Amino acid sequence: MQPTLKSTVKCTDREVGEITRIIVDPLSLEVSHIVVGDGTGGQERQVPMSEVQQIVGHVVHLRIPSSEMGRFPVLNRDEYVTTHEVEIAHLEERLHVEPGEVLVPIPDLERNIKRRTFFTNLTHAIGILLGLPLIYPVMKYLMKPMYLPYDNRWIKVGNVNRIKVEDTGVQFKFRKKVKEAFMPEVEILKNVWLLKATPEVLDEVYKGKDMQFRDSQGSLIWTNNRAFPYVAYSGKCPHLGCGYKWRKVRKLPREIFLCPCHISIYDVSGKVLDGPAPRPLDPVPIRVSDNGDVEIIDVEFKAGVRDRIRIL
Amino acid sequence: MEPDRLVQSQPTVLERVVAFVDERVGLKTLQAKMLNEPVPGGSRWAYIFGSCLLFIFVLQAVTGVLLMFYYVPSVDHAYASTQYIIHEVDYGWFILSYHFWGSSVMVVMVFAHMSQVFLWGAYKSPRELVWLVGLVLFGIVMAFGFTGYLLPWDQRSYWATIVGVEIIDKTPLIGDFMARFLKGGPTAGQMTLNRFFLIHVMVLPAALMALAGLHIFLFRKAGPAGPFHGGVEELKAKTDYFFPRQVWKDIVAVSVVFVSICGLAFIEPVVLLEEATPDPGDYHPEPEWYFLFMFQLLRLKIFGGELGQFLGSVAIPGAFMLLLAALPFIDRSPERNIFKRPIALVSWVVVVLGIVLFTVSAVINREFLD
Repeated sequence: MQPTLKSTVKCTDREVGEITRIIVDPLSLEVSHIVVGDGTGGQERQVPMSEVQQIVGHVVHLRIPSSEMGRFPVLNRDEYVTTHEVEIAHLEERLHVEPGEVLVPIPDLERNIKRRTFFTNLTHAIGILLGLPLIYPVMKYLMKPMYLPYDNRWIKVGNVNRIKVEDTGVQFKFRKKVKEAFMPEVEILKNVWLLKATPEVLDEVYKGKDMQFRDSQGSLIWTNNRAFPYVAYSGKCPHLGCGYKWRKVRKLPREIFLCPCHISIYDVSGKVLDGPAPRPLDPVPIRVSDNGDVEIIDVEFKAGVRDRIRIL
Repeated sequence: MEPDRLVQSQPTVLERVVAFVDERVGLKTLQAKMLNEPVPGGSRWAYIFGSCLLFIFVLQAVTGVLLMFYYVPSVDHAYASTQYIIHEVDYGWFILSYHFWGSSVMVVMVFAHMSQVFLWGAYKSPRELVWLVGLVLFGIVMAFGFTGYLLPWDQRSYWATIVGVEIIDKTPLIGDFMARFLKGGPTAGQMTLNRFFLIHVMVLPAALMALAGLHIFLFRKAGPAGPFHGGVEELKAKTDYFFPRQVWKDIVAVSVVFVSICGLAFIEPVVLLEEATPDPGDYHPEPEWYFLFMFQLLRLKIFGGELGQFLGSVAIPGAFMLLLAALPFIDRSPERNIFKRPIALVSWVVVVLGIVLFTVSAVINREFLD
């Protein structure tokens, strides 16, 4: 039981005063001392709780005679701060030293508990009714540019006379016109890798089947003929979308496609030789005019998945 | 002595103003509450990291606002405006480089702060919520780094974002939506820059301020944990208030942090690469150094293929964060001494060694690529 303020303090022989303050240990959060005043506003002495024998209601019994009170130190107020001036966690929950509750009446109009509950629930309901219809328009607002129709334009990327050797990757950079939302049309630099493939490599690229490309509605826009010798690979690595290179590396007998990001390695047919890539390089629609000009459709597939899922 | 006595008897204008405000705001009580927090076992250098983080955040906010005086978040001006800040605006290079290095130091400090709390067992009951909110703050700091990296719109920032968003894309069910949401379309462009800018300068700062406030509130509510050894009497004898000894240590640490960031900004000021474009040219994409271990991890063959990629980019990092979140609820033993918690100590060492190992091998791999 905790001592309370204003309690009477009795020694074994007589009453010696009342509790004027209580001192708390900030670590254990227990009452460590009571401060006993003689009731005349004179000296206050600090009595440790170990000297308290029992607390009966508002009377605190000490285990010593009044003659021994003098051995307890006089309170030096400057050595303490009030609990309002420090930040000690959980102190209020542990201590009950207030001299009792201080009350103010609830206004008559607020005494009906049922009505208060009703209004609390009504407030929540109104909030939900106001908020819910906003979810759809806000989501639509944010999602406006997220799903765009595919871009099926043919883009001229160069001339095949640049390709001198069969089964060798040649990078064709091209500038693509992009008109995004409210922005003026700009040209961005992209690239594709072209090769003039021998029949064996073509077999490996197309697995003996013509490759079809479709738009978002599923209708056919172009077919890459399996016997057509020129192959264009999207410049985007099917692993996580970086740009890869055609290069020689130590340990491998011939040149390969290498992505410097996560070191995916593909052979000339786009097959994964090593590294984390989940699928071969992505051929894109290609056509070559009589004078050797190459056009492609800049198709992009989702990176990092086994299947080719078109996104652009 | 005459003037002194005069001051005491008649309050100065300043004292009257202070008294006026205090009466209406309760400043002195507030100040007392802020500073008079008993630190069990006394102040320590180990407790400096939280204050350092708060300081770094404030300066990131200040330098961030300064950068926005010139920066334009559009694909046709972002690069030029950043170059303008670096090359034309007086001290622009310094403000930008400070902001850049500040983010790196912030990541280091977050790591130190989390390690300290982990090793001291300070996440245990009754401080579980402090730890949980702290984990969310960790996520916010990483998101700050990721979104801010794109804003200069050079090749480095563009490719780090491309790969980062592709990693988010690997989340099951919602990955495609999240990636498109962040990019604002199927591919990166103006909408991506817009969204990253907005997230970086509005959403994340608001979230960080709110959650850091909650973090500190919860910490104050639970009280500091104190050291993990020492008896009650010993702790009591060494206990002091947050002010002045801990504040002093914090200020020394904050000064070291500030000088370090300034030093890094001077020695290694930010230099942009070519303007961003979907053709990487000769550039070998790489994320910021604190994501390098993750980058290297994803190079491993076992994290290749569809399943492997899900494991490496989503499942393992996700499981690790969940484990950290569940930690105070799994590890219920009240023992806080790290030398009596062998599993915790070994796990920490393994995680740190793993991160160091993967980061170093990512750096070594650069040589192989050139």
